[in-house]
Parts: sequence; structure tokens; C-alpha cells
Amino acid sequence: MVTPRALEHEFETQDLMINMGPQHPSTHGVFRMVLTIDGEVVRDVVPYVGYMHRGAEKLCETMDYRQGIGYMDRTEYLANFNAELSYVMAVEKLLDIDVPERAQWIRMILCELNRISSHFMFTGAFGTDVGVFGTAFTYSFIQREIVQDLFEEITGDRLMYAYFRPGGLAWEVTDNFVARVHEVLADMRQGVIDIDGLLTHNEIFVARTKGVGYISGQDAIDYGMSGPALRASGVDLDIRKAEPYLYYDQIDFDVPLGEHGDVYDRFVLRVEEIRQSIRIVEQCIERLQPGPIQPERMPRMLRTPPGEVYIRTEAPRGEYGIYLVSKGGNRPYRLKIRSACLSNLQALKHMTVGQYVADAVIVLGSIDIVLCEVDR
Amino acid sequence: MTTDEPQTEAPPSFDDTIWSTVDGALAGISATPERGVLDLIVHIPPDEVLRGLTALRRHEALDFDYLRSLTAVDNEDEGIDVVYHLYSTTHRHNVTVKTTLSNDDLTVDTATTVWRAANWLERETAEMFGIRFNNHPDPRTLLMPEDMTDTFPLRKDHPLAEIEVLQGEGMGYTEEGQ
Repeated sequence: MVTPRALEHEFETQDLMINMGPQHPSTHGVFRMVLTIDGEVVRDVVPYVGYMHRGAEKLCETMDYRQGIGYMDRTEYLANFNAELSYVMAVEKLLDIDVPERAQWIRMILCELNRISSHFMFTGAFGTDVGVFGTAFTYSFIQREIVQDLFEEITGDRLMYAYFRPGGLAWEVTDNFVARVHEVLADMRQGVIDIDGLLTHNEIFVARTKGVGYISGQDAIDYGMSGPALRASGVDLDIRKAEPYLYYDQIDFDVPLGEHGDVYDRFVLRVEEIRQSIRIVEQCIERLQPGPIQPERMPRMLRTPPGEVYIRTEAPRGEYGIYLVSKGGNRPYRLKIRSACLSNLQALKHMTVGQYVADAVIVLGSIDIVLCEVDR
Repeated sequence: MTTDEPQTEAPPSFDDTIWSTVDGALAGISATPERGVLDLIVHIPPDEVLRGLTALRRHEALDFDYLRSLTAVDNEDEGIDVVYHLYSTTHRHNVTVKTTLSNDDLTVDTATTVWRAANWLERETAEMFGIRFNNHPDPRTLLMPEDMTDTFPLRKDHPLAEIEVLQGEGMGYTEEGQ
């Protein structure tokens, strides 16, 4: 009888290098990684990013503060409102202006709805990564489309909203806004139940994702991870709670935490976050009062005093930060976009090495990357 | 902290910030505080910044275990600032560390030994500003093409122009297909 050990000596195995991407359906954009595999096990991963680098930071230096809003949409195209929010808050902080209450509540509602639509996008796309293509994907996308319809009614655009302005909002929401939000929320509640049935409690799905792609909380912090990917490892860091902005300190909601730091936890956490976001929107809608949506006196051209500020908000994928340096004048001297996905992606190697090659795709999918945000 | 610390003569008080603790942690390093809009800003000279960051990371009452962001700002004649945004997940406080590199010597020690998060952020900062991070474990380009190591897009002297113009200006951009 041949023992496994004898086999090892008999056959000289050779590492195999596999190139994946940049044009690969499961990389969610143009992302390339070179996997070194030994049999079925991944030994090394070298990620390559930058295929979508457009120099958004440099471009923002050349245009005035209001023109830069559109570029935020184009960096984070799945959570546009959250991206715009960081930017306008940074400008407001430097200008030192107060935003009317109604505008803040509407911002909160839109940001949370955007989080819901982004997480539904994730559940659909992640289902495809795992191999349950079809039902879960279409069910998720129906929900996302419902939210998108509401955004289109308000802003006039399906994806590139450019609706937030330093000081408030571009224009008033539609008359039937409150009723429409209630309608959308009803659909979202059903959507979460559907996803739970299709994926969360699906035996095959659970078997495929549990215990895969583990990262400890300590490592996740060290890699600078943020958002659901960090909280799945049990680290209680949600900027909405830790450093409340808008009116998150007046709202009652929970921050779900994972226990195992694996792919399954990252998935379940996002589904749970959809539920919490629904709770937040419900409370915001109740407190929405008529009033102005822009300060009374806003200058035609925004000129900031010299100074710098680093604004961070909790976007669906993690910390979306804007580091704005002004030397006076009507445009940023330097604008740095802190991308949540870039930092999360750094931990990919840590999570993938030692896993099966078939799981490399679902580990990547569980980070929920948006390559436009990584490359900027 | 040395005796000729200019902090004593600065009129703004830092009592409501974590400056006194930071000052204690940075003993022997010449650091100067500045009041930022949100967070405390600490200026440290480039040759001491790695020691400073390590001290901030290791200090028990500060425990800056989370590197939020790392970037640079080109101040043209005044050199390039490297900016570190730090956060403590246990104590929930922030600090911004700034170090100014002179234009003749754009090198600083890598912070990858303190936080692994610094790896990609330093690669990006290096290729965008032409800063060299000493002892960086993986000094390749991140977002820019591999062979484009002689032109630094986020510097203020780099023009914002179309690729055809840049090729004509000898900025190191090669013709398509070469």
C-alpha cells in the first residue's frame, strides 16, 4: 500500500500560476489577480488594480466645489448619495455653514435607502459568485430597481444623482415623497424575507460559505478594513455610532456584528444591515417636517478659507473619507478620496491564501468591491 | 519633548484635546501641535516620523491601531507634506500626523512596519508624488502602469491635459502600442 507520504516523494508537484481578469465576470469590474496554486490550494495572490484610474482627485482640483459633486457619483456608483455626502460635508465644514434640518433628514433617508440598494446589489452579485445564478440575482435586482426608481423620481437620473449641495439639497423632493418611501420600504421588507429564504437559510449556500476566508478582528484593523467586512470579524466600529454625523445620534438602531469573520458572516451582516436601514428610514420619515432645504443666504460662488479637514462617513462598503485641503479660493487645493474598497482589498491575500481556488472568487465577492472607487 | 518647544508660546490651548497624552507619548521627538477643524494635527520632522508613529501605536492610553488614510499634499516650493490620519478603535479618538519633506530629499521611512494598511496607500502616494518610502516591502506602482515611474500626476507642476498633449511634452507617456 502506498502511504500519502510516499506519494509526496514520488511525484514532484509544481506550482501553477493562473491569471484571473482583468476581464472576468466575477471580478465585479476590471480587477486582475494572479493566483499561484498548488493542486487545489491557493499559495499566493498578487492583485493588480488601477485599470479604471481616471484621476478624479486631480480633476477635482481644477473645478469649483459644486462641479466636484458629480465626480463623487462616478467614483462610488453603487452608493452615490453616501459618496456625495462626504464631499458636501467636507465643504460645509470648511465654509462653516449650518444645514437646515429638513435637508439633513432627507439626506439621511436617501443615504440609508442607497445602503439598502447597494446591499441588495451585493446579495444578488454574491449569489452569482457562489453559484446560485438566477433566482436570487433577479429577486435582488428587482428590489434595487424599486429604490432606483424612487431616486430617479427625485433627482432625474438613474445613477449619477448629483443631488446634494453644500448647504443642503439641489431642489425639493417630490410631493408624494413620504408616501413613496413607505411604498419602497414595504417592498424592501418583503425583499429581505425573500433573500433570507433564497440564500441565508439555503443549506448549499451555507455549506459553501461557512468557514471560508477567515480574518481575525485584529488583522482586519491592522489592514485598515472598514464597513461590514470589518464588523463581520467582530469589531464594533460603525462611524454612524462611533462619531455620529447628520442625526444618527437621535436615531435608534443596532450595529450587527459577526462572530466568525468568514464569508458567511459578511453576507449575513449585510442582510441584517438592510433591516436596520429600514428601521432608520422609518424613524427619519416620522421626523421629517416642512421647512427650507437650503440656508437662506448661500453665495453664488463658494469660497473656502484656508484650512483642511478629513470627513469620514459610513458608506455601505465602509469608511468613505474626504480629505480636503483649501488654500482659499473656489476650488480644492488637494482632494483625497479615502476608498473603503482599496483598504479592504489589501486583506484579500490574507483571506485567500490557504483556501481552495474555487473559494477565491467568493472571498473576493464577499468584500463587495467597486473598482471605480478603488481606482478613482 | 525638548525645552525649546514652541508649543508653550502658541496662544491656542490644547487642553480639550488629547495633546498632553500625545506629547507624553512622543517624548524625545520634536512634535508641534496644530488645531485642525476636527482633529488635532501633530507635525513631526521626517527623520523622526517613524519613531513617532510607532510610539503613538504602542502607547497604551492612545493605542492608534487604525490607519484611516495616508496621503500627501504638494505645497510646491515648501515641499511635500505626507499626511497620516490615525484612529483608535478602542479609545475612539483621532489624530493627524504631518511631516514635511523638502523638495531635495523626498524620502521617508515606511509605516508598513506599524500598520499593514500602509502598504498600498504608500505605493499610491509614491507613484503620485514621487516620494520614496524607505524599506517598503513591495515598491511597485499601484494604480499607474508599471513602467511609468518618472512622472508624478498629482504634483502641482504636472499639467492636466489629454494624453496626446502629454506625449508631445515628453512627460514619459509612451505612444500607444509601443
